[in-house]
Amino acid sequence: MNPTLPYTDAQTVTLAIIAVVLPFAAFLVNFLLLGKSKASGWVSTLAILASTVLAANVFFKVWNSPGIHTQQVWFTIGATKVQAGILLNNLSVLMLLLVSVIALPVHIYSTAYMKDDDGYSRYFRYLSLFCFSMLALVVVDNLILLYAFWELVGFSSYLLIGFWFTRESAIIANKKAFIINRIGDIGLLTAIIILYTQFNTFDIQQLFGDKGLIVNSIIANGEWTGALGSIPALWQYVAFGGVFLAVAAKSAQFPLHTWLPDAMEGPTSVSALIHAATMVAAGVFLLGRVYPMFNGTELTVLAVIGCFTAFMAATIALTQNDLKRILAYSTISQLGFMVMAMGVGAYSSSLFHLATHAFFKCLLFLVAGIVIHQVKHIKDDNNLDIDPQNILHMGGLRKKLPLTFIAAIIGALALVGLPLTSGYLSKDGILIQAFDWSDNKGGILKLIPYAALFTSWLTAFYVARLIVKVFFGEFRLQKMNPHIHIHMGDGGWQYKLPLVFLALCCLFPLFSLSPIFYEDAWLYKGFLQANFLARENMYHYIIPVLVNILSVVVIYFAYMIYVKRNTWSFPQTGMLFRISFNEWYIDSFYNRVIVRFVMWLSNALYWFDSKVVDGFVNLLEKIGIAIAGIAAWLDKHIVDGLLHLIADIVHGIGGFARRFQGGKIQYYLFSMLLVLITVFILKLIWT
Amino acid sequence: MITLNDFMIVSVVLFCIGLFIIVSKKNAIQILIGIELMLNAAILNLVAFGKYDRANNGGQMFALFAIVLAAATTAVALAIILNVYRQYRTINPDKVNQLKD
Repeated sequence: MNPTLPYTDAQTVTLAIIAVVLPFAAFLVNFLLLGKSKASGWVSTLAILASTVLAANVFFKVWNSPGIHTQQVWFTIGATKVQAGILLNNLSVLMLLLVSVIALPVHIYSTAYMKDDDGYSRYFRYLSLFCFSMLALVVVDNLILLYAFWELVGFSSYLLIGFWFTRESAIIANKKAFIINRIGDIGLLTAIIILYTQFNTFDIQQLFGDKGLIVNSIIANGEWTGALGSIPALWQYVAFGGVFLAVAAKSAQFPLHTWLPDAMEGPTSVSALIHAATMVAAGVFLLGRVYPMFNGTELTVLAVIGCFTAFMAATIALTQNDLKRILAYSTISQLGFMVMAMGVGAYSSSLFHLATHAFFKCLLFLVAGIVIHQVKHIKDDNNLDIDPQNILHMGGLRKKLPLTFIAAIIGALALVGLPLTSGYLSKDGILIQAFDWSDNKGGILKLIPYAALFTSWLTAFYVARLIVKVFFGEFRLQKMNPHIHIHMGDGGWQYKLPLVFLALCCLFPLFSLSPIFYEDAWLYKGFLQANFLARENMYHYIIPVLVNILSVVVIYFAYMIYVKRNTWSFPQTGMLFRISFNEWYIDSFYNRVIVRFVMWLSNALYWFDSKVVDGFVNLLEKIGIAIAGIAAWLDKHIVDGLLHLIADIVHGIGGFARRFQGGKIQYYLFSMLLVLITVFILKLIWT
Repeated sequence: MITLNDFMIVSVVLFCIGLFIIVSKKNAIQILIGIELMLNAAILNLVAFGKYDRANNGGQMFALFAIVLAAATTAVALAIILNVYRQYRTINPDKVNQLKD
């Protein structure tokens, strides 16, 4: 640690580090010591509980203080010293607390939810790893570590989405999530490299601080000039594009959002965690970290993309029948709101919405988990062939699951943004600031706040549809199969406690003493970019009223349609319905165009690899074998042959000579005679 | 008229028969007989060439001398053959090859 740090700060940093490392310790303990023991759940839960307490401690020490930044040299490459350290400012301590507070009820819930699963202990290992990655991501102070934990978050979510790896669909879903996140990771890496090239540092505080390098760099005359020199301004836009890709992949923004609905294949408690605090929040958190690097145009791009994502996801959520899929699209929609808020300069509103959304979305997912669990029990008890997540089979569950129902209502109201809930405060903040922003913009950008407004009514509709279909009316499953045996309940305290806790956190007092005016929320005081707080124009009065009155009307409308069924129902054949139901055909477009192209490309490359590259290698191999064959032949027949020839000659001579020494006297005599005769004959010839 | 040539032919025939017997027969006694034949061929030559000697009957004298010597050597050879038989239970010269290197 930095020795110049005051004692109390050093202590805070230590606490923060312990809070981050505890889940990892739980992961290690579970992984190395406990094996398949059921104790692993409680190890992980205790670790995250301790993390929560420490994070709260750190939060109250650091919040609204100048922040603590400590680092030490990590490694040196050439002349560059890369520092690693902890950066605790308002943003990171808020996220630290948020992640651990959301993770805690999810852990408690999971101990009951995953009780009968074979992978119970594996589940908690992954969950602890996931929490550790996310907690570490929010506190690290340099881009390399940030990138590392960014990857780790992606990897652990991959593990959790594919948790039930025996299901084909889960494998496909986690592959999809991983690949799409990989696209974003490439963007982040590109951005980091560009920033390093320009500013020669990875330090977040130096880069994005108040008087940091980014703030002091200027773009003029097509050059991006920083403290160390200038590069073409194009690179600044490339860096923005990279960051945007990263954010779009992690936080499921428009072109890269398709993994999130499929990520429902994981256990529901994991979905709660992914959707609330750990995975998708990382993207918005990254936006918050690197916010100073965006210029006006780039912010507008963010606003447009965010708004479009919010609108698109909301329209898709209108017609989906899968309980978790509706919630997934609503998450995408809300993330779109957050990104749009970043784009319109509502920095603090965006983070505020991130915080409130974390609570109510986590709550809604836990509710969905209970509902699905119960329906699945009915399905298993009665051997029905139904999809337990399909809301068309549900209905009237409010009497059977009273606590779950109340929690769901609170969560739903917060999601819609009705008064007295936290969602009301944050969503109105975003909408009002969007209107303020569009005042001095022209043309099509004027549409953005209206689209956002419209989206929030759509939100009201699909949330109402979801709640009504699940909890009101009559239980359609029972109606279809009248004699099934039904046994339902809210479940044990591990289910109830997280629900109650999260439901309380969804109400306004946690964030603001005033239930009506978002400007009073304490969260706004923590961020420098907290502008738009003065109630300077009419928007601050009109918009909340407009949103809420129309939302109520829309909810009533949905109630009339789905419960009373005394008004017209939507035609399910229209083009709009089909677009919405098929999720804007984005997935099929990706499958038809991009996936097919990539498959074609990989087949072509495979062909090239197997025929040309391998062929060349095989050819070399064959040539080698042929040469070796020739060499072997030469060796055997020429070299060895020569030796054999000599040996044979010697052998022959020896054999020839030894016959004269055979001990046969007659033979001796005969040969003597022969020699004599020969001598005589030769003598005769020569004379 | 018996000429020197006739003696020589008889002598050569005798010698060749003796040589053939020595080389081809597998019995030491027979070989001994072959040796005697060859010796007799030489003795015949001695007698035949003796006609051209200046000293009278020199050839005959040598012939007698050689016959005596031949008798002596034959006696020695027979004694050896007898001992060889005792030692090896055979008189086939091919089987008695322990004098080889």
